[in-house]
Amino acid sequence: MASHAKVAQKFARQLFAMSVVDGTVSADRVAGVLEYVEKHNVPNPVMVLKAYERLVSIELAKGVAVVEHAGEISAATLAAIESAMSKKYGRAVKARAESNPALLAGMRVHVGDDTYESSVAGQLAALGASV
Amino acid sequence: MSTVLEQIEQQIAKLSSKAVKKNTGNIRTVADGVAKIDGLSDVMYNEMVQFPGGAIGIALNLEEDEVGCVILGDVSQLKEGDEVTTTGKLLSVPVGKALLGRTVDALGQPVDGKGPIDSKETYPVEKIAPGIIVRKSVSQPLFTGIMAIDSMIPIGRGQRELIIGDRGTGKTTITIDTIINQAKINKVGLASGDKNFRPVYSIYVAIGQKNSNVVRTISALEAAGALEFTVIVAAPAGDNPANQYLAPYSGAAIGEWFMENGMDALIVYDDLSKHAVAYRQISLILKRPSGREAYPGDVFYLHSRLLERAARLDGKGSLTALPIIETLAGDVSAYIPTNVISITDGQIFLETDLFNQGIRPAVSVGLSVSRVGSAAQIKATKQVGGKLKGELAQFRELAAFAQFGSDLDAKTKAQLDRGSRIVELFKQPAFAPLPIELQVAVLFAMQKGFFDPVDIKKIADAAASLKAFFTTRKDPLLAEVRTKAALDKDLEAKLLAACEEWKSSYAA
Repeated sequence: MASHAKVAQKFARQLFAMSVVDGTVSADRVAGVLEYVEKHNVPNPVMVLKAYERLVSIELAKGVAVVEHAGEISAATLAAIESAMSKKYGRAVKARAESNPALLAGMRVHVGDDTYESSVAGQLAALGASV
Repeated sequence: MSTVLEQIEQQIAKLSSKAVKKNTGNIRTVADGVAKIDGLSDVMYNEMVQFPGGAIGIALNLEEDEVGCVILGDVSQLKEGDEVTTTGKLLSVPVGKALLGRTVDALGQPVDGKGPIDSKETYPVEKIAPGIIVRKSVSQPLFTGIMAIDSMIPIGRGQRELIIGDRGTGKTTITIDTIINQAKINKVGLASGDKNFRPVYSIYVAIGQKNSNVVRTISALEAAGALEFTVIVAAPAGDNPANQYLAPYSGAAIGEWFMENGMDALIVYDDLSKHAVAYRQISLILKRPSGREAYPGDVFYLHSRLLERAARLDGKGSLTALPIIETLAGDVSAYIPTNVISITDGQIFLETDLFNQGIRPAVSVGLSVSRVGSAAQIKATKQVGGKLKGELAQFRELAAFAQFGSDLDAKTKAQLDRGSRIVELFKQPAFAPLPIELQVAVLFAMQKGFFDPVDIKKIADAAASLKAFFTTRKDPLLAEVRTKAALDKDLEAKLLAACEEWKSSYAA
């Protein structure tokens, strides 16, 4: 079982490498990969596709800034975040707003596995941890 | 009052104006104290990561798309999908004199119920060992208080001396005796007001031990008044393997503080066999490739990087290490024993047969060696016990040979007789280390033949009488031996006269 998972993981990585063009995931290549898996007798297709989906989703998350906010957020702020993050990461980053009242005030931005904490809830948690 | 408010406002301003960047990941799987984490792309090797609920982890496996972490602390609350954050810090433990007399866990947190530890400094648990330039060769003695060791297998400050033997052969007892002896020497030295006196602080690291054994050790140290000079780092058998893996490094960090600050320290790793087993467990769960006896490929480095941290530093202090290895059926050629033998500067091998014959400490003279300690031995011990190791080794050989024949020449008989007396003389009860000056007096009496007329069965009794005689009636002479550390003609004459005096009183 473990070796099947390893083989599937390795194959998924190869498929993923083929899906990236100029540092971004190409929709055409992904469609091609899915077609290949469907038509050919790929061993453990579910395992392969799940591993492939995970790799693609990690890559796609790097191009999206999820902006969690409490209260209103203006389009100008989102645009400013988009531009700042695109500049910082050297790639096109799209901002997506998600309301989260638990933050109390302020916002929290996720880009890939980086988190920028600027919410009151986060500050209170930091203050609580430091006391 | 206004200053206080200003401080709070400044803190609030600082917090509200900054967006704090964190690198995060999510738990993919968690089992057996090891978590596999998605994300954490910025994490560094050996970096501390923060789990929810206050648990801490260490990133040990940095793979292409996941990170393997060992978790220190309670894993029962962790679940798949929980957020994990990098901290940018290496694991550190509190260090300093505030830890003396305390029992701490692998993270340096007190576990003795005596309240928090007021420590100002922390040291990283993993640190590169001192290099060649800063080291100095071993030349100062570290007395164990065990006559067989101090006279035949001497240990110096900054040395790494392995204590190896089967279970129940008295390995831990030797180290406890050594710690107790350091405390005794410290008390005498500090009371004397000698400015050049350098106390030795001890660190006892219990790895994978039964809790009851750790308690027994603490009680023995407390009863002997040695706990005030000792730090106990406990990662008992009930602790998770990550803590057992880290405990020796935490102990080394605590010891390094003493060394770096111009003091001398002694560290006991009890024992490195269980440490290797804990590391094997972690490595197997992390799916690292396994080698001989299923240990991972870096098991040699696991111990070499730890023991290399023991050193004597030029212009600073020293850290002496006494690692313990438990063998199975006396097999010193197993994987971990041979690794540690090759790393250390000698070994004290304890034999089950000797132990069962009542020869305690059960030191095997033939297999034990100290590679650098003789440079640290005081001249007085060399003068009275220089030939002992050879004599005793010869005795063991002859004794084995003599079993096959009854007709022995006078010379062989004399050698056997003398050897049996030395063996009897070296028997020593647990937790009763002998001061070096008393050892010199006893060995001097033996060399001068004062024990020759005594019946072999009564040697222990005679030795006890001689020790009592010297401690109660010849204290100034013992002090002279201690301070001079060498026997000149005058001192030899005085010792001879004292022995004669004892002989007449003992015979009477």
